[in-house]
Amino acid sequence: MLNPKIYLRILFIFLLLIGVLAAGYVYDFSKQFPPPITNRISFDAKLKFIREHIDPDKIDTIIVGSSVGLNNVLGAVLEKGSHKVQHVLNLSVYEATTLEVEQILELSDAFPNLKRIIYSAQYSDFPHAKKYENYKPEILKKFIRKELSSIALSKLLFDACNNLLFCKQREKKWKKEHLQSDKFTSLLFDHTGSVPLEIYKKEAVGGRWYLPHPGIMHGESFNAVERMAKRAQKQGIKYYVVHQPYRDTLVKKHESVGNALKYFDDKINAIIKKYNGRLICLQNLHLSDEYHADRTHLNVKGSTIVSIEIGKIIDQEEK
Amino acid sequence: MRLTEASKAFLVFASLFFYSWWNIMYLPIILVSMLFNYVIGVSLSKEKEQTKVNKKAFLTIGIIANIMLLGYYKYADFFIENMNHLVNGHIPLLHLALPLAISFFTFQQIAYLVDSYRGETKEYDFLNYANFVTFFPQLIAGPIVHHAEMMPQFAKLRNKVKNYYNIALGLFIFSMGLVKKVVIADTFAVWATQGFDSAPSLNMLEAWVTSLSYTFQLYFDFSGYTDMAIGIALLFNIKLPMNFFSPYKAVSIQDFWRRWHITLSRFLKDYIYIPLGGNRKGEFRTYGNLFMTFLLGGIWHGAGWTFVFWGIMHGVALVIHRVWQKLQFKLPKLLAWFITFNFLNIAWIFFRANSFNDALKVLKGMFIGKLVFPLEFLNYLDLLKAYGVQFGNWSKLYANENYIGLWMLVGAIVVLFLPNSMEWKKKFKPSFFYMILTIIFLLSIFMLYRKSEFLYFNF
Repeated sequence: MLNPKIYLRILFIFLLLIGVLAAGYVYDFSKQFPPPITNRISFDAKLKFIREHIDPDKIDTIIVGSSVGLNNVLGAVLEKGSHKVQHVLNLSVYEATTLEVEQILELSDAFPNLKRIIYSAQYSDFPHAKKYENYKPEILKKFIRKELSSIALSKLLFDACNNLLFCKQREKKWKKEHLQSDKFTSLLFDHTGSVPLEIYKKEAVGGRWYLPHPGIMHGESFNAVERMAKRAQKQGIKYYVVHQPYRDTLVKKHESVGNALKYFDDKINAIIKKYNGRLICLQNLHLSDEYHADRTHLNVKGSTIVSIEIGKIIDQEEK
Repeated sequence: MRLTEASKAFLVFASLFFYSWWNIMYLPIILVSMLFNYVIGVSLSKEKEQTKVNKKAFLTIGIIANIMLLGYYKYADFFIENMNHLVNGHIPLLHLALPLAISFFTFQQIAYLVDSYRGETKEYDFLNYANFVTFFPQLIAGPIVHHAEMMPQFAKLRNKVKNYYNIALGLFIFSMGLVKKVVIADTFAVWATQGFDSAPSLNMLEAWVTSLSYTFQLYFDFSGYTDMAIGIALLFNIKLPMNFFSPYKAVSIQDFWRRWHITLSRFLKDYIYIPLGGNRKGEFRTYGNLFMTFLLGGIWHGAGWTFVFWGIMHGVALVIHRVWQKLQFKLPKLLAWFITFNFLNIAWIFFRANSFNDALKVLKGMFIGKLVFPLEFLNYLDLLKAYGVQFGNWSKLYANENYIGLWMLVGAIVVLFLPNSMEWKKKFKPSFFYMILTIIFLLSIFMLYRKSEFLYFNF
């Protein structure tokens, strides 16, 4: 049995040591991997990417959306193919619902020279009205602009990494699942934050390829589109909604898909016209299966064509 | 002496700051409640200046005011909703936010008023009283403490001296509570929530996983909280009463209530059951008193018919147990434990479910749901196929959870075979063994990511 005072001294030394080791790990982890700030790895990876590779003052075009935005519009191609578009940032996040896209766009204030927003969407993004919880755009804006004080930055990172086991798991998964361009979970960003997919129809599997999405769309999703368009107009930013191509074979085979696409186009067009927005509908490109990674996602061949097309339309629209 | 007063004042301030951190809107409620009860309590204690009639009137006013406060915040909407149903009315609901810990500090102060009336309170220093009500480790979810067991501790001079043994012990008990809450309860919480709130229907194994997960979650969550409260209080040389003593080892429902939320049981006994007449007014009246006490206990836990039903279940079970004892029937210990545990597990379903439909969904799954065993069991349980048991994907709901079985086993071993934290507390010595345990337990702080609230904060 130890003297209680000595016992406590030794205990505190151990605890201090553990604290120091944990702090060192968090520091090292957040240098190498996306710290779990938002609880969505692709959002976290995007925030880290912007902080480390993007000059927010230069950005004039933001692409936003779910994976349909991340994979189907290549910022690098858009920059080359358009006269108007100079510096692109793809802010899309995997699985982002329309309401989450609206939340992500609250970060647009961090880019003072922003001229246009391109919301790349498909009707399958619209059935859910989920939102990010505990979302703090003000802190995130400062984080990506490197305007957080050292104390605030440390607090953000330590709050994010307060489950070290989770960080350890993320570390393990990172290489295996997110650094492979032939996986739908890829987070291999190009210099604008887009993720070109190297998935061709041979590899596409199961339901993702041949089953159509049900034509359910949530009213709140359309309200969110309206709010985004309104906000953009108020800020003098041009707002585009790009309706991405759905796998043509499925459109021809299932009447319900055609109906959903038409409903989506009509509804979006009616909303954003009021705010000087523009709907770019790309179904009429009739891309063959060769350009698809699955029913809604394009591989790098498809996304290149789509990005060139978007660039052309922007140039015409902003003549 | 002045420094002592300042330190007590600081502790009150820190406790109120802690309370307000959740929502500062609640602060005036606890302050007013505390001042009101203090004034009434002091008046009740001035024996010589008052007649008995006066004292009774004061006590009645005090109790009614406390119950009205609790009733207004906790039960108003429940009452309006039921009235609307009954008379087909359209009275709008108030949608009041429930002030944090209101059930706990109200009960504690009602007990104080009754003790003052009985002349069982001796110490009337306001700062000590404020510490008795607001002392932050037990403010939010108990243990529900008696004036008589706390006030002397706040007043005792020796308790104001740093005690290294208590600090070491407090850290050990706190760390044990932390691991119970963060590692065990929060793991089970995910599965319980999935089963109760997400799934439209459950097969047999899923339903048992759901109900057992909640049974374990509630115990580890609440007893974890209590351990943390006891541990932190020890850092201040304050000894809080025991609140749990391996409740799932109970072999009867009476035994369970002697081990589960002990300070609530004590309150119910001293301030409801005994004033109702206890067992002094004949056998049938005793049954009625038991039933009424647990019905009120159920209502105390929440404003909803599922809580009322849970209280009724426990009331009826206690009555049956009493009759059973009276008839001098005895069951083998293992069978008695089995019946008790399963009764508790079923009763908790009503405690947890958001509605009777949700509760019935789980119960239906447990007893008449489809039984699908994991494919790995086929080699051992092949003969069950003849009885319609299927083998394959045993659960869609828990398809990605690989460790449910292991966690259930760990939960069962901890609650049934290991010493409880109070037994550990007795054994504690400042040695390397306990130091290593403390460190290992404290490492659970690195798993705090799954932010969740303590279940008993809502009661």
